[in-house]
Amino acid sequence: MNVPETHLAQEAIAALVDGELSGGAAGRAARHLTGCLQCRLAVQAQREAKDALHGSHDSQDVAVPGDLLSRLRAIPFTADVSATGPFGGGTLLASALTAPETPERPGQARWLRRGVAAGLTGLGLGVVALAVSLPAPDSTPVARTGPDSGSVTSTTGDRTELVPPVVRTVTVGTTTELTGGTP
Amino acid sequence: MTEPATATDVWVAPTWEQVVRDHSARVYRLAYRLSGNPQDAEDLTQETFVRVFRSLADFSPGTFEGWLHRITTNLFLDMVRRRQRIRFDALPEDTERLPGTAPSPEQVYADTHLDPQVQAALDALSPEFRVAVVLCDIEGLTYEEISATLGIKLGTVRSRIHRGRVQLREALAHLAPQRRPVAEGVA
Repeated sequence: MNVPETHLAQEAIAALVDGELSGGAAGRAARHLTGCLQCRLAVQAQREAKDALHGSHDSQDVAVPGDLLSRLRAIPFTADVSATGPFGGGTLLASALTAPETPERPGQARWLRRGVAAGLTGLGLGVVALAVSLPAPDSTPVARTGPDSGSVTSTTGDRTELVPPVVRTVTVGTTTELTGGTP
Repeated sequence: MTEPATATDVWVAPTWEQVVRDHSARVYRLAYRLSGNPQDAEDLTQETFVRVFRSLADFSPGTFEGWLHRITTNLFLDMVRRRQRIRFDALPEDTERLPGTAPSPEQVYADTHLDPQVQAALDALSPEFRVAVVLCDIEGLTYEEISATLGIKLGTVRSRIHRGRVQLREALAHLAPQRRPVAEGVA
C-alpha cells in the first residue's frame, strides 16, 4: 500500500473525531489512518479531550441557585429596559445579537462604497481641473457639472453612472477644443 | 405582551415563567463552564435573561436555544475582553487570574458536578478556544451551529476546536500527571 508523505490536516482530525467530515473525506482519512501511527495518535488525543469533557458532565444536571432563579423570574418586574446591570451599555446588546449575522459584509460594502466615492471625487476634481484649465467660454457649463457630479457621487453611491459620460464629454471637449483651435 | 397564551396555533408563546424554567439550567451551566466560577455564571445568566426579556419581540420560534447560546457566549467574550483590557491597563505584567474569583474544587463540583480538574483545565484555555470546545463537547452543537453562534467561519471552528482540545489535554496532564486525561471515574 502506498502511504503518502503528508498527514491529515489538524482541522480534519478534529472534524473526523466529531463526525463532521463528508463521506469521501472521511474515507480518505480512514485509509490514511490505517498506515499512519502519528495521525492515529493525534486522533486519539482529540478523542480523549472530547471524552474528558463529555463524560464529565452529563451525569447530573447543574442546579441553578434558588436566589438566581427567583431573580430571573422577577426580571419582568425589575428589569430596567433602558439601563443595564454589571455589563455596560447598549453596545453589548448590539454585539450579542447582531455579531453572528455576516459580520464582514457591512465593512466590505462600506469599504467598497468609500473606494468608489473616493474614485469618483477624484474624477470630479479632474473634471474641474480640466474645465478650469480650458480658456474657452463654452467650457464654463462643464465646469459647473464637474463639482456637482463630484459631490453627488461622494454622498450616494447610486448615481455613479452619471459620471463617466461627463468625463467622456469633457475629454472629447478638450480634444476638439485643442484640435479645433482656441482663438 | 409576552403571555398571549392563545392555543390557536401550533406554536404558543411561552410565559416568562416557562422561559425561565425551561432554559435557566442550560444557560447557567453554559455560563459556569465558560466563566469557571459561580459569581460570573450568575451574572452572565442574569444578563442573558435580561437581554432575552428585552428582545422577546424579535424572537421567532425554533431558534431559542441558538439565541440563548449566542447571547451567553457573546456576553462572556465581552466580559473577558473587558477584564483583559482593565488588567492590561492596571497590571502590565500580570497574566494570572484576578485573585478571589476562582472557587475551590469542592465548590465547583458541588455547583456543577463537573470534574473540578476538567473545569480547571477549561479555565486554562484561551476564551475563544474554550467557547468553541464547550459548545462542541459539552453543549453538543454541530460545527455549523457553532459557526452561526460565534459568527466565525467553519474552518475557524475546526481549528479552534482542534487547538482547544490539544490545550485542554495538556492542561489536564499538567493538573494530574499521574492520571490519564480521560475522566472515566466521573460517571
